[in-house]
Amino acid sequence: MSAFWAVLWKDLAIEWRSRDRFAAMTVFALLVVLVLYFAAPPSLDAAQNAHVPGLLWVAYVFAGVLGMNRAFAAELENDALSALALAPADRGFLFLGKAAASFLILITVQALAAVFFALAFSLDLWPVAPQLAAVAALGALGISCAGTLLAAIAVRTRYREVMLPLLLLPLLVPVLLGAVRATTALLTTGSLPWPPVQLLIVADAVYAIVSFLCFEYVLDE
Amino acid sequence: MSAPALRATGLAKRFGPLAALAPLDLALAPGETLAVLGPNGAGKSTLLRLLAGLARPSAGEIALGANGESRAQRRARVGLLAHATFLTPQLTARENLVFAARLYGVANPEARATELIAAHELAPFAERRAGELSRGMAQRVAIARALVHEPALLLLDEPFTGLDARAAERLAEQLAMRRGSERACVLVTHELARAAQLATRALVLVRGRARSLEPGALASADALGAAYRDAVAALEAVS
Repeated sequence: MSAFWAVLWKDLAIEWRSRDRFAAMTVFALLVVLVLYFAAPPSLDAAQNAHVPGLLWVAYVFAGVLGMNRAFAAELENDALSALALAPADRGFLFLGKAAASFLILITVQALAAVFFALAFSLDLWPVAPQLAAVAALGALGISCAGTLLAAIAVRTRYREVMLPLLLLPLLVPVLLGAVRATTALLTTGSLPWPPVQLLIVADAVYAIVSFLCFEYVLDE
Repeated sequence: MSAPALRATGLAKRFGPLAALAPLDLALAPGETLAVLGPNGAGKSTLLRLLAGLARPSAGEIALGANGESRAQRRARVGLLAHATFLTPQLTARENLVFAARLYGVANPEARATELIAAHELAPFAERRAGELSRGMAQRVAIARALVHEPALLLLDEPFTGLDARAAERLAEQLAMRRGSERACVLVTHELARAAQLATRALVLVRGRARSLEPGALASADALGAAYRDAVAALEAVS
């Protein structure tokens, strides 16, 4: 477990000092919301309005992919990735540390983007804030778990910035399906249906377990 | 003879059609220092990365200490100083050492970092970020980092690169002290004088093929130079 805390502390310390990942993700998410706002018709009818909450996930997922692309940036300098690979800990705990750091950064960006989204589309998110936060957190967990594994694979490839979205986005379909349906239902009916949440939980569990087990081999040259 | 600190059997590495390392047998006893010599591209760094467990061999086996150890247990026995410093640029020198100590599960990471800072005279720049350090300073921190968990097998790739005379002498003294201990060392270097000074055995690599030198070759830098040239010529003739 010391490796988990060490990696989590290191990634958060780096982010606190540079804020480059957080700043890039936040600005990108806000720009996506802005584009969606400009693209939406001035007055939405009820049917169109039902689709608006799902648009929030466009901002979330692209900000997430951007963040995951930067997840191993610090390890590229001075071959610090090899230093991680040399650690005698179970490499699954290295994965957990990296994924936890990405998760914390992503949910912070999600919170800011949600506020901006609510302002742009005149939505009152406050009554459903706890449920929305739970759905966003479950989605962020899936993005962080799958993203950390694939970012570790992509980081050693020549076209890593292109490779990661190509690998990650198809894999996130179950997470997006669950998250968008849950968010849409929550913001249109005020209640959270169980099936999409169940899908999110199962997808998160699968990504977390598979990534934990595969990380031992991913870090090998 | 005591149990080997390192035993490699039929160790080989290929990158596609390229044989980076031809099958190699190697055994190193505790207290021994093996100098690995050879021209650029000979496979020296590949050998170190295989021994460190960073890369998987295409063939052969590596054993460190007791049989049946897991890969993680093997990694705990090894300290590697590579070409790159392994330092995180955004963290200070001290934080890099604390981070490494935590990764290796050292009991008191902060105290261990302080101990290494004192031992390697890093105090003047211990609170500076690694990204701001000169090559020599970063190399000194990287050496301390490789020793953070007191590894049984130390793998050093050109450790004297960038060091000033004082730091180089101190490192040579530390390596000389390891010779009498239970710890083994593999030293990759182009400096024949250092190899003659520090090593108990020497191995020459050319295009992935290895040849051991006679112990007498380490009597002096001149003797080592002559033996090295002969070995390189012989290996080039067969490869």
